[in-house]
Amino acid sequence: MRLLGGYVRRYFLQWLAWRSFALTLVANQAVTPLVGLAVWSTVLPERRLSDYFIALLFVRLLTSSYENHTFSEWVYQGGFCDDLLLPHPPVLVTLGENIAIRIWHIIIGLPIVAAVVLFAPPSLRWQDVALALPAVVLAAAIRFLFTYALALSAFWIERAHSVVGLGSTLIFLLGGEAAPIALLPDAVRPWAEALPFRAMLGFPAEIAAGELNGAAVGMGYLWQVIWLAVMVVAAQAVWRAGIRRYTVVGG
Amino acid sequence: MHSVMVDGLQMAYLVPVKAEGLRAAFRSLWHRAYKRVEAVRSVSFSVAPGEVVGFIGPNGAGKTTTLKILSGVLHPTAGRVEVVGHTPWERRPAYLRQIAMIRGSRPLAAPVELTVQDALRFQQLIYEVPEAQFRRTLGLLVEMLHLEPLLQRQIRALSLGEKMRAGLAWSLVYQPRVLFLDEPTLGLDVTAAQLMRRFVGTYSRETGATVLLTSHYMADVESLCRRILLIDKGHMTYDGDLAGLSARMAPFKLLKVAGGDPGLDWSRFGDVVEQEGGRVSLRVRREAVPAVTARLLAEVASIADLTVTEPPLESVIDQVYREGV
Repeated sequence: MRLLGGYVRRYFLQWLAWRSFALTLVANQAVTPLVGLAVWSTVLPERRLSDYFIALLFVRLLTSSYENHTFSEWVYQGGFCDDLLLPHPPVLVTLGENIAIRIWHIIIGLPIVAAVVLFAPPSLRWQDVALALPAVVLAAAIRFLFTYALALSAFWIERAHSVVGLGSTLIFLLGGEAAPIALLPDAVRPWAEALPFRAMLGFPAEIAAGELNGAAVGMGYLWQVIWLAVMVVAAQAVWRAGIRRYTVVGG
Repeated sequence: MHSVMVDGLQMAYLVPVKAEGLRAAFRSLWHRAYKRVEAVRSVSFSVAPGEVVGFIGPNGAGKTTTLKILSGVLHPTAGRVEVVGHTPWERRPAYLRQIAMIRGSRPLAAPVELTVQDALRFQQLIYEVPEAQFRRTLGLLVEMLHLEPLLQRQIRALSLGEKMRAGLAWSLVYQPRVLFLDEPTLGLDVTAAQLMRRFVGTYSRETGATVLLTSHYMADVESLCRRILLIDKGHMTYDGDLAGLSARMAPFKLLKVAGGDPGLDWSRFGDVVEQEGGRVSLRVRREAVPAVTARLLAEVASIADLTVTEPPLESVIDQVYREGV
C-alpha cells in the first residue's frame, strides 16, 4: 500500500503538469451525463431523473479509466521495458496512475458537479448516498480491471485505443449512460442488469438516486462481486499471455 | 564462483513478412508468413563478481538482446542463464533489487516532471532502501557525480550529460550488485564520457559490483574493461583480454609514411588503410615490417617521415567486425 501510495503521489505530481489535458478529459467525461440529464428530464419530467444523472456524473468522474492512454502508450513508446525491471508487479504503476487521475477528476470536476446541483437541485437522501459508496469503489475497481485487460491488447496490436474504445461504447450503451437501465426495452433490460457494464457505472448511481429496493441493491452488489472476480481472473490471464508474448517477441 | 553465467543462449523471433502489392496484402490477412530471425545463436560465458567486461560487436550482433535477457526483460528461446544465483526472466523482486540496466539511449527512466531529488527519493521507496543507507549512498553519488547543482532541478530541463549523471545516481542509489550498461556514453561529450568512465570504474572497485558493458566507443572499453567478449551474428567469437585480441591480429602493424609521389602505387608495400594528402597508412604483416621499411626507404626517394605503430584498437575492432577473428 505504501508503494501504491508512492505511485499515486508521483502521478498526481506528474498530472499537475498536464492539468490542461486533465481538464479536457473531465469535460469529456461530464458531457454525456449532462446531455442525458437534459434529454431525459425533458422526455420524462415525471420520473425525476435529474437525481440519477447527477449521481451518474459523480460516479463517472470517480470510475473513469484511461489505460489505453497510459499503459498502452507506454508499451508503444518502449517505456514498458523499464517497468519490467521494477522489483514489484508492474500493475502497481498503472493502478497508481489510474487513482491519481481520478483524484484530479474529482478536483477539476467538483465545480462542474456544484454548478449542476445549483442549476438542478437534487433530492438525494444521505442514506442512499452512503449505501452507494461501496458500490462506487467496486465499480471503480471493475472498470479499471476491464479497461486494463483491454489495454493489454497493446502486446498484440498497435491500435489498443480502438479495443478500449469498443469497451467504452458498450459501457455507454449498456451501463446506464445512454439511458437508465430501467428504461431499456424489456428484451434488453435483464441482460443489461446482469452484464458487467451496469456494475461499472449505472448501479451505484441507481442506489444513490434511491431507485432500488433492498433486494435489488443486494442483487446488484452480488453482480458487482461476481464481475470483480471475473475481471481479476481475466486481467491476470490476459497479462500472463501478453507478457509471455512481449518477452518472447521482444516488445 | 560467478556473478553471471550464460550457457548455450539462443534467442529467435518470428517476424511477419509479406510480398509487395495489394494482392499480397489481402492474402496476408488469411495466410500470414513469418521469417525466423536468429538474434542470438550460441552465446556462453561467465563473469566473476567484481569483473568489468566489455561486450562488443557490430550493430545487430545480438548484444542488446543478450543484455535484455540477462536483465530479465526477454525470455530466451533456449539456454541457461544465472545472474547472482537467479534466473533473470523469472523477474523475482529479490533479483531485480540486485541489478541495474542503464541505457545511453534513455539514461534516466524517471518521470520528467519530477526533480532529481524527488526521483531519487522515489527509488528509495521502490527499492526499500533504509534511510541511513540512502543518505550515505546519496552523499557518495552526489560527490562523485557532481550532482549537488542538479538535485532541485526538473529532469525535463537537464542536458543529456546531466541526465546521464542523474541516471547513474538513480540506478545506483540502491547499490545493485550487477550493472548492465548499454552504450552508456552514447551522445555524451568528451568530458561527460570521461566522467562516466571514471565513475563506473570507481564504483565497481569500491562496491565489488559486476559490470557488463556494451559500447561502440573503444575508449569506453579500453579504459574500463580488462576482458572483452566479442559477439557477431549471434555467435561468441572471442573471449579474452584486449592484448590477446591485438595479438591475434598481430601479424599486422601500421607503417605511417609522409611524403612520396602522389601517383605512387602504395599497395605494392602493404594494405592501404588510409590515404590523405601526402600521408598514407599501410597495414603490413609484422614479420615483413623490416623488409618493407627497407624497400620503402630504398624505392621511394621523397619520404619525409616514416613511423611504425601498433594498429589502434578502433581499426583492430573494425577489422574484426569486417573479417572476423
